Amino acid sequence: MLIGLFNERGFANMKSRKAFAIGAVAMALLLGACSSSGDNAAESTPSESAAAFPTEDLTLNISWWGEQEAPGAQKWLEESIALYTKEHPNVTIEHVLQTTDGLIPSFEAAAAAQSGPDIQYFWGGIYSQQPGWDGHIAPISDYLSEEELSHYINAKVESGFQGKVWTAPWYVNPSFPLLVRTDILADNGLAVPTNWDELMKVCDVLSAKKITTIAGGVKDGWFGGWIYSILGGQSVQSQADVINAVVGTTKFTDPEHAGWWTKLEESKNRKCWNDDINSLELYQAQQKFVDGKAAMTITAGPDAPNFVKKAGGDEKVTIMAMPAWSDGPLAGKMGTTSQTLGITKWSKYPQVAADFIKFTHTTERLNAWYAATGSMPADDRFDISQVESASTKALFESALDGAPYLENFIPAQLDADAVFKNVQLVLKGTVKAADAAADMQAVMERLRKSDRKLVDNFTAWAK
Amino acid sequence: MKLTRVKSEAVGVVSRQRPARSSREAFLWIAPAALVILFIFGYSVVTVLIQSFRYDGDWVGFENFSIVITDPIFLTALKHNGQLLLAVPVLITLAFIIAIALFETRRGMRFYRSAVFLPYVLPIPVVAVVFGQIYQLNGALNIFLKSVGLDFLAKDWLGDPAIALGTMSSVIIWKEVGFGVILMLAHIISLPNETYEAARIDGAGFWRTHFSITRPAILNTIVFYGVIEAITMVSWVFNYVYVMSNGLGGPGNATMVSELYIYRSAFQNKAPELAAAAAVFLFIATLVLMIAFFRIQRRSIAGTFNK
Repeated sequence: MLIGLFNERGFANMKSRKAFAIGAVAMALLLGACSSSGDNAAESTPSESAAAFPTEDLTLNISWWGEQEAPGAQKWLEESIALYTKEHPNVTIEHVLQTTDGLIPSFEAAAAAQSGPDIQYFWGGIYSQQPGWDGHIAPISDYLSEEELSHYINAKVESGFQGKVWTAPWYVNPSFPLLVRTDILADNGLAVPTNWDELMKVCDVLSAKKITTIAGGVKDGWFGGWIYSILGGQSVQSQADVINAVVGTTKFTDPEHAGWWTKLEESKNRKCWNDDINSLELYQAQQKFVDGKAAMTITAGPDAPNFVKKAGGDEKVTIMAMPAWSDGPLAGKMGTTSQTLGITKWSKYPQVAADFIKFTHTTERLNAWYAATGSMPADDRFDISQVESASTKALFESALDGAPYLENFIPAQLDADAVFKNVQLVLKGTVKAADAAADMQAVMERLRKSDRKLVDNFTAWAK
Repeated sequence: MKLTRVKSEAVGVVSRQRPARSSREAFLWIAPAALVILFIFGYSVVTVLIQSFRYDGDWVGFENFSIVITDPIFLTALKHNGQLLLAVPVLITLAFIIAIALFETRRGMRFYRSAVFLPYVLPIPVVAVVFGQIYQLNGALNIFLKSVGLDFLAKDWLGDPAIALGTMSSVIIWKEVGFGVILMLAHIISLPNETYEAARIDGAGFWRTHFSITRPAILNTIVFYGVIEAITMVSWVFNYVYVMSNGLGGPGNATMVSELYIYRSAFQNKAPELAAAAAVFLFIATLVLMIAFFRIQRRSIAGTFNK
């Protein structure tokens, strides 16, 4: 039957087919024109005020991520939902855990349909700014008091925009700690490196013995963004420098933005990384560290305490910031970012969503978060003195006074198209540092043309 | 053709009206189906077309097309789709050879047929995940190659930008060849035995028989399979690339294809207007390809009958 459709006869009577096709296209054009959607959501209206708490039966949907980097988060969330709905019997809360690759696309699909979750998980910085700029979320500051938000760690630095705060920080992600197995270093007569040159010497010694110094995986790209932040952050003065390069005041080929590519290339040449870094995903590679096949790895801050436990505890593992290769003000400092929750513009019950978010910041819930995940809730009311592990305590304290996490201050597309891509290529040895920097600048210039609001948005954000 | 023309000239006015009436009747018969197709496909095509000329609700002419066509990533994606087309002759040849082998196999044909067809019915994400593991630098394939002393053949199959697209093609070929085998085998089995017997009596050998009898006899099916696979390579490889490169089209842009570019523009880069412009380019490319293939098909069929 199918073959029959493609035979000669199917081409007969071309004139009639043409007439039919023209009619069909015209009809479809009419349909398309009639139902053309209003392309963008309405702009945010910061003057919205919270309405009275509804008494009718209602359901909130949460689309989230985080179990991947803070195991135990799902248990805590379900517990929080149970406790909240017990207090508010008219409220039902359902949640969906998204995959790493699916988090943003699923939200974009929901935003296009203006329907979906009431509460959406966002990474910090640009990942919470962009949906605000696009009109997909309502500022959380419309529903939570300034006093309440003042306790949320990184709220203003990353989610603030012209006096408003888009999303509510949930938990802190110290970004990104280097985990060092002191037992492996000691077995090979090495000490924990305190600067870049010492780290390179460790790479020389361990690679000669066929031991991987730092385990990583860049196949899924994300690790590239981490490396950019922890190496690239060392040569800038603040996140404002990066935003300047984004809007075109400076260039990504300038020394303060390009130097880190050279360091990355050096680390590849000194065989610091596992040879299969390009064919492994991030989480697959980190397992090498737990298995004792690598002396170091870089993990998500919330997951670092778990890695320390799995690898043998504080006796065998130390947590530190990436050794400094520059004398910049942020060199050697741990980055800090908060993962956040936002309220979607289409939510029918934004005040209930905000109330639930506020509930998750009660002292009991903050302590429960730490108990469930071992990571730090994004609230300065959390009592750090309850943390027993010395390395975890040091990690939390470093995040309180951390450096800005650079990846969150560049367009997500620049991250994927330039950083992820070139980190893969530099680590494979097919692209040189200078070419990677030039490509990053070229991608940025192209982005300023294709995203015609980018410069205005970033400029407004910087104010 | 000649006979028809003479007949219609003789019948005059009446004969000229008959085709018109039957044409109207044909349209009436196909109208319900055509309307459904129009609504499902036509509407979305037109919506995409309109969106490709707009930005943030405003009409911007060809600006989106200009941005897309000057984007090196999109051009790379198109080039990769073009390179994937090279897999089509490989697929056709492999499918033809396997179909003949199965046709000539007396014992266990049913088992072999199922075995060959099995990859085609497996879900693409499952296939891509499994091959993603097999092709790791320290994955099963390289472990095997090293174990038999072929270390020099062990490569970073998906991690090396120079060979990643070729590696991906091999997975697509492995999965898609079964479809061609089944199509061709079904056609070969339906061919009359007398032709083959006559060929044998005339002294035709194995290769001569299949090259000069089987191949032209199933040319229709071969071309059809070629069209389907060409369309697959141009606009249906998203699943393979997405799963095997974690949605990046990497390493670098080594496995970027136009579908992934469209998906990323629409859902990751929040640029639906650029996705729409790229989709229009892809639509045109697919259309051109189909027309070209249909012409080839018409010529080859006409050639077969003329012989």
